[in-house]
Amino acid sequence: MAGTIVADTLQDGAGNSTAMDNAIYGSAKAWVNFVGSSGSINRSYNVSSVTRNGTGNYNINFTNALASNYYAVAGCVSLDGTIGASGTPCFVLTGGTSSNQQTTSTCQIGVAQYNSTNADHTVVMVSFMV
Amino acid sequence: MSQVIIHANSNGGVSVTVPTGEISIQSVKEKDTPEGSIIVDDSTLPQGADAQFFDAWELSGSTVTVNFEKAKAIKLAQFNAKAVEEAQKRQLNTLAGIDNAVSDANFTASLTAGRASIASATTTAELVAI
Repeated sequence: MAGTIVADTLQDGAGNSTAMDNAIYGSAKAWVNFVGSSGSINRSYNVSSVTRNGTGNYNINFTNALASNYYAVAGCVSLDGTIGASGTPCFVLTGGTSSNQQTTSTCQIGVAQYNSTNADHTVVMVSFMV
Repeated sequence: MSQVIIHANSNGGVSVTVPTGEISIQSVKEKDTPEGSIIVDDSTLPQGADAQFFDAWELSGSTVTVNFEKAKAIKLAQFNAKAVEEAQKRQLNTLAGIDNAVSDANFTASLTAGRASIASATTTAELVAI
């Protein structure tokens, strides 16, 4: 049965409390853990699919649209054995901030190396907060 | 065996969309991929050494093939990037007064031989082995 609970504060049995805003704005609205070289999904929440566009270049597609396209993206990849000193991975939004690649329904990300080449990693983890 | 959705992308390559299972693959196809995308078994995609040259994949009808000339170009770019990295390490060793394990002549010869092997390769398995 659908319903709504209206409250400003959440409190547990021990008396610890937090503002409802922390739950609403402070929790991930979508996340995914997948295999970079295949797109195979390990676990996800509110992600309908992952599209591999090229090596180290992916679209994360949301099951339910996010409330705004001004969301924060956090990511991490596994440090695979083949990566050399110049291959330190970092996450980038492939299109830059003015791009249409960060929308409420999808976000395109790239896993770039220090030497500017993209790479697939064994595990890619991304979360989105808005 | 899993199903994925494929379409030709604007880079001349193939995008592969992997559903998470949160919604049906048909819904993913309609929501996350462009018109004309195709649902295929992932076992029909290039495997083994061919799978390592994702950026050389091309879509012909409903079949994904590897453009071998593109694969060779990718391998050469990887080889050259690694050569630059190795040359920089050698230069640093020289500046630090540390002997390089391989002489300059042998290092240069190995690069020449590697590039020749890439040029003469006839399969992706040969490229991977270089």
